[in-house]
Amino acid sequence: MNDADCKVKVARDLEDLIPVFMSNRRKELDTLRVALASADFEQLRQLGHRMKGVGNSYGFNHVSTLGKYIEDGARSGDRAGLAARIAEYAEYLSKVQIAYE
Amino acid sequence: MSAHDFRVLVVDDDPDMLRLLARMIEGEGMRADTVLDGDAALVHAMASPPDLLLLDVMLPGLDGFSVCERLKRDPATAMIPIVLVTALEDSASRVRGIRAGADDFLSKPVQREELIARVQTLRRLHETRLELEARRLASEVQRKETLRKAFGRYISPRLAERIIADLDDEGTPFQRGAQRVSVVALFADLRGFTRLTERTQVDEVVGLLNEYFAVITEAAYRHDGTIFSMAGDNLLTGFNVPFPQPDAGRRAWETAHDMARSVKPVLENWSARGGMATGVGFGLASGDAIIGNVGSPHYMNYTIIGDAVNIAARLVALAQPGELLASGPALHAAGAMAAGAQPRGKLALRGRSEAVDVYAVAL
Repeated sequence: MNDADCKVKVARDLEDLIPVFMSNRRKELDTLRVALASADFEQLRQLGHRMKGVGNSYGFNHVSTLGKYIEDGARSGDRAGLAARIAEYAEYLSKVQIAYE
Repeated sequence: MSAHDFRVLVVDDDPDMLRLLARMIEGEGMRADTVLDGDAALVHAMASPPDLLLLDVMLPGLDGFSVCERLKRDPATAMIPIVLVTALEDSASRVRGIRAGADDFLSKPVQREELIARVQTLRRLHETRLELEARRLASEVQRKETLRKAFGRYISPRLAERIIADLDDEGTPFQRGAQRVSVVALFADLRGFTRLTERTQVDEVVGLLNEYFAVITEAAYRHDGTIFSMAGDNLLTGFNVPFPQPDAGRRAWETAHDMARSVKPVLENWSARGGMATGVGFGLASGDAIIGNVGSPHYMNYTIIGDAVNIAARLVALAQPGELLASGPALHAAGAMAAGAQPRGKLALRGRSEAVDVYAVAL
């Protein structure tokens, strides 16, 4: 993840949707952590799949990128890789900067 | 249909996707309804069919394919355009979507421009389809109205409606063939018309007949009688055919009274103009008859044949101007309406071995 990944441009007319979107991402992060702790790979796969669909649609391309990694990692049972991606997701959410245009 | 009237049902189990898609739709001035699962989508679409469905594939409960299949199977919802929205990139999913009846596909992540372009295209197609359907319906109504008017000049409006309905059902009127039915047959015959025509210019005769038939056919239609034949100055009206009329006897009796009343000013006018007194006699009988097409493939007559028609024809021949002669069964079928009728006893009618009870009333 580089700095450019953390800079997101969002259409102005979607601005009022973003607080809820971000709040849901943080809840998602918690759920990912719980799922990883319990080695629930099916839930991890579903969460990754959802991230992949919703991230880019809002303009948060890195959410989709991480979602794809998590979905693939859950399929292969790569626990270490999943832990790294979830940590990266936490860092991303803490750093992301949103510009409305 | 304005953009605002165009309703899109958006179905996605992810609330964030749902809000985003709805916002994009609303941003184009269209209305978006939202539901979170397949079962709710099915219920919503059936209860209040949208103009377009944006349907996610991976849904809890019924998945998008199943919802699509069910809606496309139901004639009430089959025409709703469905766009399947999915993150699945594999062609197998698209093939399954096509088999389920999907009209278009949209991949996640959703690109706004692509979404709007697909929705607008389907919206135009949908509106064109609606417009064509509306034109087809209007044309069908116009065709039926033209047929009804054309038939209505020659046969009763109810019979015309029946023919038009049968055209829809089977392509050919009255294919069901002959039927035995209980009928009430009323003949009206203009007395003294032959003598009147001898003193009238030929080109005036048709005008006089049209004047006469105009008022008595209107009287027949007022009581929902069906006119089966108009020959010379003689009119045959049937009741309880081709549609059941539980009060057919009373209707026929009232029709005779109405005809006599309505034709009176016409006859008085003729009398004043030609100095020749005329009047209308009536014959009424009820009983079984056969109703159906009689004739050849080149010339068909939809008519009633049977004892009741024969008796009514014999009675009208015996009736005096302004008199109604009715058979016993017709009198009883008329009920209280026929209270003033006087018995004429049993009359031997031409062509019948048994005498018939006849009742008379002055109209």
